[in-house]
Amino acid sequence: MVFAILQRLAQMVFVMVGISMLVFLIFFATPGVDPAARIAGRNASPEVLEAVRISFGFDQPFYIQYLTMMQKIFVTGDLTSFVNRGWKVVPAVLDTIPVTLSLVFGAAVLWVVFSVIIGVVAAACRDRWPDKLLMILGLIGISMPVYWLGEVMNLLTQSRFKDTWFLGWVPPLGYVPFSESPKGWFLALVIPWITLSILYIGLYARVLRASITEALQEDYIRTARAKGLSETRILLVHALRTSLIAFVTLFGLDFGALVGGSALLTEVVFGLQGVGKLTYDALQNLDLPVIMTTVLYASFFVVMANAVVDVVYILLDPRVRSA
Amino acid sequence: MKKLLLATSAALVLALPAWAEYKEEHRGGTMRLVARSAAGTVDPHINYTLQYWQIYQGLYDGLLAFKKAAGEDGFTKVPDLAEAMPEVSADGKTYTFKLRPGIKFSNGQEVTTKDVVASLQRIFKVSSPTAGGFYSVIVGADACLAEPATCTLEGGVSADEATGVITITLTRPDAEFLDKLALPHAVILPADTPAQDVGTAPVPGTGAYMISAYDPNSGMTMTRNPHFKVWSEDAQPDGYPDVIQYDFGLTDEAEVNAVMNGEADWMYDQPPADRLAEIGSTYADQVHITPLTAWWYAPMNTNIPPFDNVKARQAVNFAIDRNALVNLFGGPVLASPVCQVLPPGFPGHVPYCPYTKNPDQVWSAPDLEKARALVEESGTKGQKVTVIAEDTAISKAIGTYMQSVLTDIGYDAEVKPLSPNIQFTYIQNTSNNVQISITQWYQDYPAASDFLNILFGCASFTPGSDSSINIAGFCDKDIQAKMDEAMLLGVTDPEAANKMWADIDRAVTDAAPMAALFTPKRIDFVSKRVGNFQFNNQFYWMVSQSWVQ
Repeated sequence: MVFAILQRLAQMVFVMVGISMLVFLIFFATPGVDPAARIAGRNASPEVLEAVRISFGFDQPFYIQYLTMMQKIFVTGDLTSFVNRGWKVVPAVLDTIPVTLSLVFGAAVLWVVFSVIIGVVAAACRDRWPDKLLMILGLIGISMPVYWLGEVMNLLTQSRFKDTWFLGWVPPLGYVPFSESPKGWFLALVIPWITLSILYIGLYARVLRASITEALQEDYIRTARAKGLSETRILLVHALRTSLIAFVTLFGLDFGALVGGSALLTEVVFGLQGVGKLTYDALQNLDLPVIMTTVLYASFFVVMANAVVDVVYILLDPRVRSA
Repeated sequence: MKKLLLATSAALVLALPAWAEYKEEHRGGTMRLVARSAAGTVDPHINYTLQYWQIYQGLYDGLLAFKKAAGEDGFTKVPDLAEAMPEVSADGKTYTFKLRPGIKFSNGQEVTTKDVVASLQRIFKVSSPTAGGFYSVIVGADACLAEPATCTLEGGVSADEATGVITITLTRPDAEFLDKLALPHAVILPADTPAQDVGTAPVPGTGAYMISAYDPNSGMTMTRNPHFKVWSEDAQPDGYPDVIQYDFGLTDEAEVNAVMNGEADWMYDQPPADRLAEIGSTYADQVHITPLTAWWYAPMNTNIPPFDNVKARQAVNFAIDRNALVNLFGGPVLASPVCQVLPPGFPGHVPYCPYTKNPDQVWSAPDLEKARALVEESGTKGQKVTVIAEDTAISKAIGTYMQSVLTDIGYDAEVKPLSPNIQFTYIQNTSNNVQISITQWYQDYPAASDFLNILFGCASFTPGSDSSINIAGFCDKDIQAKMDEAMLLGVTDPEAANKMWADIDRAVTDAAPMAALFTPKRIDFVSKRVGNFQFNNQFYWMVSQSWVQ
């Protein structure tokens, strides 16, 4: 167990070092990106450009700049942005985590509940009309890009049906901290939750239906039937449980990536100041310190999520436990 | 300039116009502004964005200020922290100011001559973007640029605390020095302000408002400066709202919705094209459209083929259908075609357009025959040309249009859109060998040299640097000599200098280091409750002069 944890940690460090070096090198290899010129401002004279270059350490060799940046992220925690100068990046990222977590957690609850219901119903009614209808709906859900869906939702809730009884309750865009007003927090996030989860509901329902269908062909299901168990019990306890392995793997990866910032498009469309939006803004301004910090943060979450998935496997599938 | 002087004298004759009256009944409330994102550091000596320059008007003061008045009156300079306009010595090199006594910063400290000296030094200590460009004329600036940390401006700036007299000495006469002193980069901050970029920690100022909270990821709150008393309606009038809340993070679509719903009072970003029809019809009385002293243009690299040949450059100018570009930008309501450098309404502007079907003062139609003939004569026909555009809807559309025009007149053209964040620095660097690109320039202050000398002067061309604003790499000895002469003449005779600038404008337009495309207009979309909207040509809408109740 200790070895496994150490192995995971080593893996994490390796991934993070690799990614941070890549981000760093790609940034400086891009033409037109000279950070000194961007910081100095338009039409800066050569003297000013040089002064900025020295004061920000851009005259140092790359490996020193890289190490300084890593030191400022992990040791001193006082890395500041290139664009909003003086803005400490590490606390800024930490501040945005509650927003992203609120968004992703709520959406995850929705998509797990609905995709399990839809997946099970579809598997139970295999090849009959409820199955076909649900799977087509799922496909539609998967095919709608989240930024488009988000803008349509906004058009409906913020503009076209703003003053009607059934959408009038939707508050203006933006995040309301839970500590400030739990109700405000909930109302502000309902539409983003639905928007973000629709894609995943469709995807997960289809995956679950496929793996339940497959599981129902297995020997242990035949054994269960031979024991005289009811079809409902076979479906919900025996088939569903082992079918959840593919579901959990996917969930771990998606959840990790979303918490790490992949909910970016949803956050941008709904004006939620989460990690994704921070990354998006940083990419827009080529703000290397922020890009670097959010990328490291994201890779940390993806690796973490994978580790958690491994543990959940063991709980779900007795075969993994003995192996 | 002539027009501007007339406007000022008319205002004087008619005594104080109505806007100077402060309407007590509208005082109070919270005004909410929205923008897609923050605009960087709040340090007024460093920030170089229109977005924050606009709000600095109610926050900070320099020795001089641009008048807080609507329209072209906003180009007038008025004394602010100085009691009166400075006395200028006969040789035009020494300026003497007297500090207005009794003014306090928002932290309660009184403004002294020490603060003035320290603030002028600080421009160099923090490597302000314009330290080398605008303020290097002050005696001692060279040493400050070389060694920012130990900057004293010795011999350049001196003060007598007892009498409140401040003397600034220049190395040469500079007609635009007073404009430069009225910019946010030269505002007066407390002497103990750290000699480095303050970033997100606001510095106390003398304006009617102060920044009480700032987080680039969420917003900025401006509240009334408790120590503020009106000393000059023209320079720093009192504002109406008690609080100005500037929120960041909505997309432009969401900003439009927020203003329509009255959740926000104004959006900084320009509304997206798909909402313009709705805004223009249903919300017509909430929209204000103002022409800007700015231009969209296509610089052509005069140092590499095919545009090292003047005929090739002129051919492009003849071929472009500027009406088509205006339509791409949103139609004649939002832009007007232009052939020359200086925008309409700007000092030195005299209408001129050699690149039109029947040469006239204004552009009427493209002349493709002539363009094709010029390409033929230049011997550049069939060469490969790449247009570098920004990866935004409008810029990309203009790029694609340029590609078709270039193909039409005989080049093998392609268009390459780059992310807007990279494009502006990419096209400046000569090592990227950009032949032709699409970009914009907005004035810093109302002086012809801010377009002509900065965009086409030899000093703005630095090969191999991402900071080389003379994108065309155009350096003509004769034109440069004339520009130097005009700048010198401006010290003694601004009117004659502006006549000279008009000639220079014509000369540069004839040499065609660029193709002028159009003059953009700005859309200000405000909520229903915003009253007293006034647009100042120098720093745009005067936020604090509008009311919300």
